[in-house]
Amino acid sequence: MKLLYSFLKDMQLSLKSFYIYIELGFALVFVAVMLFAVPENFEPRVTVYAYLDLEGPNQVMAEESLTQEGYEVILLLSREEVEAELADNRSSVGLAVALEDGTIVYDYILQGYEDEKFKNIIKTSIESGFAKEMPGYENVTTVTTLEGKGEKLSDRLNILPVFLALNAAFMGLFIIASYIFLDKDEGTIKAFAVTPAKVWQYLLGKMGVMLVSGLMSGLVATAFIAGLKAHYLHLILLLIACNAFGSALGLFIASFFDTMTKAMGWLYMSIIILAFAAVSYYMPAFSPLVIRMLPSYPMLFAFRETLYEVSDLRYIYANVLGFSLAGVVLFLLSNWRFKKTLTV
Amino acid sequence: MISVKGLYHSYSHDEKYAVKDANFEISKGEVFGFLGPSGAGKSTTQGVMTGLLQLQKGNVTVAGYDVKRASRTMFNKIGVSFEQSNVYGKLTALENLEFYRKLFDVSTRDPKELLEIVGLDHVATQRVSEFSKGMKHRLTFIRSMLNNPEMWFLDEPTTGLDPAIASVIKEIVKGEKKRGTTVFLTTHNMFVADELCDRVAFIIDGEIKLIDSPRNLKLQYGERLVEVEYRDNGDLKKETLSFIDEKDKHHLNDIVNTGKVEMMHTKEATLEEIFIKVTGKGLQ
Ligand SMILES: Nc1ncnc2c1ncn2[C@@H]1O[C@H](COP(=O)(O)OP(=O)(O)OP(=O)(O)O)[C@@H](O)[C@H]1O
Ligand SMILES: [Mg+2]
Repeated sequence: MKLLYSFLKDMQLSLKSFYIYIELGFALVFVAVMLFAVPENFEPRVTVYAYLDLEGPNQVMAEESLTQEGYEVILLLSREEVEAELADNRSSVGLAVALEDGTIVYDYILQGYEDEKFKNIIKTSIESGFAKEMPGYENVTTVTTLEGKGEKLSDRLNILPVFLALNAAFMGLFIIASYIFLDKDEGTIKAFAVTPAKVWQYLLGKMGVMLVSGLMSGLVATAFIAGLKAHYLHLILLLIACNAFGSALGLFIASFFDTMTKAMGWLYMSIIILAFAAVSYYMPAFSPLVIRMLPSYPMLFAFRETLYEVSDLRYIYANVLGFSLAGVVLFLLSNWRFKKTLTV
Repeated sequence: MISVKGLYHSYSHDEKYAVKDANFEISKGEVFGFLGPSGAGKSTTQGVMTGLLQLQKGNVTVAGYDVKRASRTMFNKIGVSFEQSNVYGKLTALENLEFYRKLFDVSTRDPKELLEIVGLDHVATQRVSEFSKGMKHRLTFIRSMLNNPEMWFLDEPTTGLDPAIASVIKEIVKGEKKRGTTVFLTTHNMFVADELCDRVAFIIDGEIKLIDSPRNLKLQYGERLVEVEYRDNGDLKKETLSFIDEKDKHHLNDIVNTGKVEMMHTKEATLEEIFIKVTGKGLQ
């Protein structure tokens, strides 16, 4: 009951202060920018990784014809290299061309998400280029699809997980700490401390406020950008777990300091460090262990899973469980620390 | 109701003590004044007793609870008014009290009634951030009464209030005392202490110098004084003379004999004068 009153009071206070509006406003600005200023996909040009196993003049001719078609062509030395590049750059296609007994053999290596129309455009445009340059050759075409996710998010949707992790989970880290220091400044924390209410009720009430605003901003952004594509049940559970983790981490950091100014450096640093995961999220080729060890790293991919048509539920729920547990542990530690330092 | 034995407190956790070896007992229904100049360690002592500061050394029991391992239910019996008002500026006066009362497990008083007693009923639904300092102070004061505390801690309850309001506060404290509430009152206003307290402790630089009732202190330390105003060659002169000091007695005799006395009245030593005498320091 006291928890409920404490939560309601904090909710009332937060509605009268500006943080919650910043968070929601930020979500709306993000939505607006994404919908009106950012194209659905950034790179309409497709990169073609090609391995040409031809001889002398044919090799030169093939290279010229490919570049003329307006694709960005990157020539590689083996079919394996082509596959490796494709795995890292999901908006590319691969091509291996070889001459066998006077027949040109085209081997397309695709990501798996391309639709038929796209496949045909690529095929006909490349082949017609060759046909012009090398008349008289027969051709044999095969299509290989790479293993892996048969689905690629639009570039716009691909940004959403970063927003969700940042706004819904880690913004809470910062805001909950400032709420605590606001109470310390106002001295109201001392007034609370001389009532029979318990420290965990105080802390959990604050986390409740973070959860409400985090869920609201996260769901608003997802609703506008992903619409019905997202799996909302999984998303909500994941948002709750990540938000609780973020707030509890904020509490834990705040428990070591008596003023916002002193805590600021650490809070800021932890957000920056956590944000590094976004780099590897965008450039899978750059995923050093230190980044993969950041909690935000699996979080980003878990949020992404909730946007796929077919989600990897095991991955999502491993994250839900992991972040909930970590949140609980951090909360207990903060509670234990705050029992001693809340009023100092 | 309260027992403090060998209490030490150091903010820097070293030999620099804000409170040094404090010992006192307060019995049920007593109003106990804690007097001393600024920085003497009054609020620190109260902080330890109310659990806001961690007990570092010594034994403290409050309302039957050992502060070292007190359950939070102890606070159902305790009320604390702070020297710096600490209320939610973004809430109204009434909202502040309504929220606070819900944190107790015991029956609480009607916030509206309390607001009325200290003359805040007309601003009950106004945001506290728009309040003056004195209004916030009054709100902090009545908040400490919500749970009908058996043990009431008042840190500077009248400081910064205009005399009319201050006397209202004093009347409230007297009323609570009649109902049997035990009060720990911290102040550097000797008149307040004299008027309200059964016993007072003088504290200076973290050390309690003396504990006694205001009456005993006056009997023991207070010289009987007389204030005279008389004409000397047309000039009006004013002097304070002692009934005990021989030189003063003769001088007083002379003045009376010349017959130019315009006004004369006896005067008791104030608690403040006694404080200066005992501790060698003023209160401000
Ligand atoms: N939070 C704190 N950190 C460090 N030192 C403190 C702290 N609070 C008080 N002190 C020091 O402890 C000593 C006692 O302070 P305290 O607040 O108990 O005095 P006080 O008697 O209540 O004074 P006042 O009449 O001004 O309220 C002072 O020297 C003060 O500087
Ligand atoms: Mg003080």
